[in-house]
Amino acid sequence: MITLAVKVGMIQLCSCSGCHVSLLDLHDKLLEVLPNLEIVYAPIIADPKEIPEGIDVFLVEGGIRNEHDEHLIHEIREKSKIVIAWGSCAAFGGIPGLANLYTKEEILNTVYSTDSTENKGEIPSEEVPPLEEYVKPISDFVKVDYVIPGCPPTPEMIASAIVALLNGEEPKLPTKIVCDECPRKKENVFPEKFKRTYEGKPDPEKCLFEQGYTCLGFATRAGCGAKCPSAGVPCRGCFGKTDKSLDLGANAANVLANAGEAALEIPDKVALLNRFTLPAALINRKVK
Amino acid sequence: MGKIVIEPLSRLEGHGKVTITLDENGKPKDVKLHITALRGFEQFVVGRPAEEVPRIVPRICGICQTAHHLASVKAVDAAWGVEIPEPAKKLRELMHIGNMIHSHALHFYFLAAPDFVLGVDADPAIRNVIGVIDKAPEAAKQAIALRKYGQKIVEAIGGKAIHPVTGIPGGQAKQLKEEERDELLKDADQMIEYAKNGIELIKQINEQYMEQIKTLGVIDTWYLGLVKGGKHNFYDDTLRFLSPDGKEKVDFKPAEYLDYIGEHVVSHNYVKYPFYKKAGYPDGIYRVGPLAMLNVCDSMETPLAEEYRKEFFDIFGFPANQSLAYHHARLIELVEACEKAKILLEDNDITSDDIKAEVEPKAGNGVGVVYAPRGVLIHNYETDENGIVVKANMIVATTHNVPTMEKAIQQAAQEIFK
Repeated sequence: MITLAVKVGMIQLCSCSGCHVSLLDLHDKLLEVLPNLEIVYAPIIADPKEIPEGIDVFLVEGGIRNEHDEHLIHEIREKSKIVIAWGSCAAFGGIPGLANLYTKEEILNTVYSTDSTENKGEIPSEEVPPLEEYVKPISDFVKVDYVIPGCPPTPEMIASAIVALLNGEEPKLPTKIVCDECPRKKENVFPEKFKRTYEGKPDPEKCLFEQGYTCLGFATRAGCGAKCPSAGVPCRGCFGKTDKSLDLGANAANVLANAGEAALEIPDKVALLNRFTLPAALINRKVK
Repeated sequence: MGKIVIEPLSRLEGHGKVTITLDENGKPKDVKLHITALRGFEQFVVGRPAEEVPRIVPRICGICQTAHHLASVKAVDAAWGVEIPEPAKKLRELMHIGNMIHSHALHFYFLAAPDFVLGVDADPAIRNVIGVIDKAPEAAKQAIALRKYGQKIVEAIGGKAIHPVTGIPGGQAKQLKEEERDELLKDADQMIEYAKNGIELIKQINEQYMEQIKTLGVIDTWYLGLVKGGKHNFYDDTLRFLSPDGKEKVDFKPAEYLDYIGEHVVSHNYVKYPFYKKAGYPDGIYRVGPLAMLNVCDSMETPLAEEYRKEFFDIFGFPANQSLAYHHARLIELVEACEKAKILLEDNDITSDDIKAEVEPKAGNGVGVVYAPRGVLIHNYETDENGIVVKANMIVATTHNVPTMEKAIQQAAQEIFK
């Protein structure tokens, strides 16, 4: 039974603010959820500048990219009862984690010497927090109590996790895979050859993977409602792995390897199989 | 001598702080804006198959993800020399309009309005969207409806409301079903009404805050926007610079952007400072976004919005140089976006199945431009013969505005500490 408003903090670290927007995408239901929350810190939507003590639930969007992010995640942990990794960046590093395929120096050198840059090669250093060597999930730094995966998590998933916590219950995550939610028909055939997404027009009824598209639904946690395959494009794994698996990329590679030579021809395997999860993978960066 | 640090800057989607260095008399000597986050998309899209990049770059911004998705897929189409079918173009444009409706409603009612509805001196603890819901429930309800409508359009066409996925080289992966179209069309007039109510609200606010509007953040800069046949356009065609005095217009195509736009690295900001090359740095710094869009165009694309544009310049003069007039300009664009959504939904092409051309990857260089909700957005990729990205350059909407935001903050600080 909900009695008191729960003190909530929200922050965006290395990410895009899409998880915050997904919470706002509860639309009319916001009017039911918000009165139960006392938002005491949330730079994206509110003005308080200091993180207060005694926060009940802190929703952390984004992974750790720079020294300021690292400082903040420790402060958040000290001041909060429950810390939630909110979305795939906080949980696994997310898309910004693709930066781990390069060194910090390569990133800086490229960004500050693009074709439109006038004074190429100068690197900002004044009043900007230095980058860490690599992007990391927040669980590399502090204990995380719960994970709400997704890029972004669906509004319903965020709301049900918040409601569960308000009622003193554990938020529940789906345990199945995207294929279990996907409406496309499977015939249990294995593709002999793989296609890139611009090739041809996929049959609208049949399993995209069985048609040769590199859909990763078989390795990805359910919860999205199989939105991407339903819209005609293959799953890219944005909800991360299920509890039973150790590593999304390794699992997916294992399945694709059944195709033998054909699998070797898939371009850019490392970023395909770890699109959202590289910083949390068994091999979490480029190894020279 | 002292120093004031404002951090974090709140009610904006990125990471920023402001430092104000004071002289012996307590007057601001040096005011700087720092964007403190860097992720490096220009590096880590390199090595990716180009068709995957429109699925990666939406994560630059969770509010204007659709704009990134579309600028990106347009850049890949251009690099590979593809002409996409007309219905696919219209679908992409409508998806983009959905994002404009969502984001403009969010920006005004959720991020900006707390200052005006609750007052600039209100307790920071209540000066937020929840405060707006309490104080102005009817406006909040309409804002929520507009956001929902915009996101519904993006989801119906893009597959996902946040980080859409259906833009693929050659066109679109998903057809809009007739029943989805009918469902969206039935609310179109209501949304136009809600957007009109926004104009009435901003006019009241303007009257109440006219003194601040006429004094804070008033600066002369160049302006950059997107036009088609001289008319305001969200999605396509020609980039246009307007001089600070409003007399000189410079039109160029997206593919020529490197001849017109440069970026200057400064030591105190992860964001580079773009400038109009012919005017040089720093004289050529410019503003983008709704204020710039209204300044550069000859007229709006739709009738109601055009009436409101004329009224806007009666109030602010031409070119409007008041940073606080951005809100009014944004709400005029919200009206146009709602009108335009209706026009596109009524177009028979919108439910066509002719949405995908055959594509072959090749070595090439392509530029994709749209007007994102915060301003002109540029994606530029070079691909190798297998269609793998070998080089990338992106100038995102807020980036263009950072130098002039800093200038406006400097001007405001001088006024406030006077």
